[in-house]
Amino acid sequence: MNQEQLDLLHGYLNGSLNEPDFARLQSLLQENADARRTLRSLSTVEVKLSQLALLHSEAVRVWVDPPRERGLSTRWHSWWPLTASAVCLGLMMSAWWWQASQRVFATVVNEVGVEELTNGSSLRGETQWLKGGSVELVSARGARIVIEAPAEFRFESAQRLWLMKGRLSAEVPPAAKGFTVVTPSGDAVDLGTRFGVDVPANGAAEIHVFQGEVIAKASGNASNQSLRGGDAVAMNGGGSTARELRSSAFIQPDEMHGLSAGLAAGQRARSEAALTDMRNDPALIALLDFESGEAQPGVFYTVQGRWPGSRAPEFVHVGDHLKLDVGGESEWPQITLAAWVRLDRLGAPYQSLLHTDGWNDDRPGQLHWMVTRHTTMRLALRGNTLAPDSEEKEMYPDSRTSVLPEQGRWMHLATVYDAGAKTVRFYLNGRFDKETRQSIAHPAKLGTAQIGNWDRQDRKLSGRVDELLLLGRAMSDEEIVALFEAGNPYR
Amino acid sequence: MESAKPSPGSPDPNEGFLRLWMRHEQELRAFVHACIPQAAEVDEVMQEVSVVAWRKFPTLMDPEQFPRWACLIARYEILMARRRHARGRLVLDETLVEKLAEEGAEEMSVRHRQLDALDSCIGKLPRERREVALIAYAPQASMKQLAAQMGRTEGSLYQLLARIRQELLRCVERTLAQEAHAP
Repeated sequence: MNQEQLDLLHGYLNGSLNEPDFARLQSLLQENADARRTLRSLSTVEVKLSQLALLHSEAVRVWVDPPRERGLSTRWHSWWPLTASAVCLGLMMSAWWWQASQRVFATVVNEVGVEELTNGSSLRGETQWLKGGSVELVSARGARIVIEAPAEFRFESAQRLWLMKGRLSAEVPPAAKGFTVVTPSGDAVDLGTRFGVDVPANGAAEIHVFQGEVIAKASGNASNQSLRGGDAVAMNGGGSTARELRSSAFIQPDEMHGLSAGLAAGQRARSEAALTDMRNDPALIALLDFESGEAQPGVFYTVQGRWPGSRAPEFVHVGDHLKLDVGGESEWPQITLAAWVRLDRLGAPYQSLLHTDGWNDDRPGQLHWMVTRHTTMRLALRGNTLAPDSEEKEMYPDSRTSVLPEQGRWMHLATVYDAGAKTVRFYLNGRFDKETRQSIAHPAKLGTAQIGNWDRQDRKLSGRVDELLLLGRAMSDEEIVALFEAGNPYR
Repeated sequence: MESAKPSPGSPDPNEGFLRLWMRHEQELRAFVHACIPQAAEVDEVMQEVSVVAWRKFPTLMDPEQFPRWACLIARYEILMARRRHARGRLVLDETLVEKLAEEGAEEMSVRHRQLDALDSCIGKLPRERREVALIAYAPQASMKQLAAQMGRTEGSLYQLLARIRQELLRCVERTLAQEAHAP
């Protein structure tokens, strides 16, 4: 049937046809069996809608009360109780359906900067769009789910969640075994476990299993794949490809409390005020907060930063990096490097925070800043040497405190280099960690560089970097503490 | 009044009728509505059909045949109602009503499945659409008032309702097609 013919049918049902259109409708129905069938089906739709609308309205009582004003026949009178009970029973059954359709599939138990939902909101079948922030939900069967913006999702039932976009982590208790996340490129069926699903705006959905077992069903693929704790796959084109596990790329329930408390305490405004101060510092070399929206050169994903709806680069695949070119051939006798970082995994030999391109004898003082396989920080300057009494065994200044406990959380890393004092000082989350002394200490050099990688060899940082600061002077311990405290997203 | 009280345990013809009527009332209503678009007239016809069907119920031999049998009763009542309202209104030709009813009587099991599928299809509508539909289909709903509340013209509200019906019909057809292909 074409649209014009459908319009005639709808016009007839709306009671809005004029005489010529009505004549056309009659001949259509006379000639076309399909049109008659469609009319009967549309009438069925109307009957169902009327039935539900009746339950929905005050008019229910009009139906159930004996309709005296209609002028009943005596025949109807004796008939009435039967019909009334039938109607009552019908209403009860329909009411049951209506309640079922209104059943709450999940409840919001925590949110961080989500404008669209508040704590205690009930989620039914409606589609949710989250521009920024993260939301923690508990399904009717007790599955605990955190979804990070930007996201679009909808519950089909307490056990089936459609995730069109966004990043989700789920903790599924035995009662909710079989909980399924449906994505455009495949489904994740949980068998009692903890897992994450990442649906980027462009590209394949990924399933990461932190613990337990998940069945991955790529769309268009008849066979299923069983994933165990530690496994990760990307689903695309009906197949799946193994990925490295990034369990810490997903916000999990325990992180939510700290984030929501931080936001409630006004940390975001404090952070912005501190950034403004830093921008006015005469020694500022660069401050990247990734918020301008300008395309940064490099290969990386743009995801949410520390604040709801903010932006940060995320490095996922081999070769991912962000290019930076500041300072040229300038030399800095003192330099402070600081960044908010969220590491998804540890154990790689080197994860670059900032690496100037190359590593050349003719560029003494060029710097490489990283997290090493020892899960500590390192600041290496070309041509520098350690003082004889230093404890490091690998030629370069390393921090002492492992960042391991901070994996999967935002952490603040800072290093202060002073060529005159021949010292490298490390700070983790504002706390002074360690000072390493140098014998030879060249002034620091920048120039072309990569954040999150190195141009000579893959030193990809797995995770996100937010707010990278390069300052051409040595910050004091107090300043570093203040910088951390102002920018800390947690409370 | 007391006639409709079935005693537990004894096979009561009222109870038998009530069960069948309950099960098939909505599909019968849909059958009637296909021939008569006005809700008030459908109510009137359904009232007559229920009375006649109840009176004639003892003559029905096979309960399986209830939907078809009730359709025959309804078809007669539809034609009666059509004659009552024929003058001065846009009313379908009698031959066309006959044809719609005749074919409709053959489709009662489809009607039943369609109504079942509609439960979940309406549940899947976006919330705003579902609410608009339920308000518009409530008894005594005024399209003019609703359109004004929504800041729309009446015409555009009718178009919206048409789109909602069309969306539901597509969902129903998809659901039934999937059922047909299920193992």
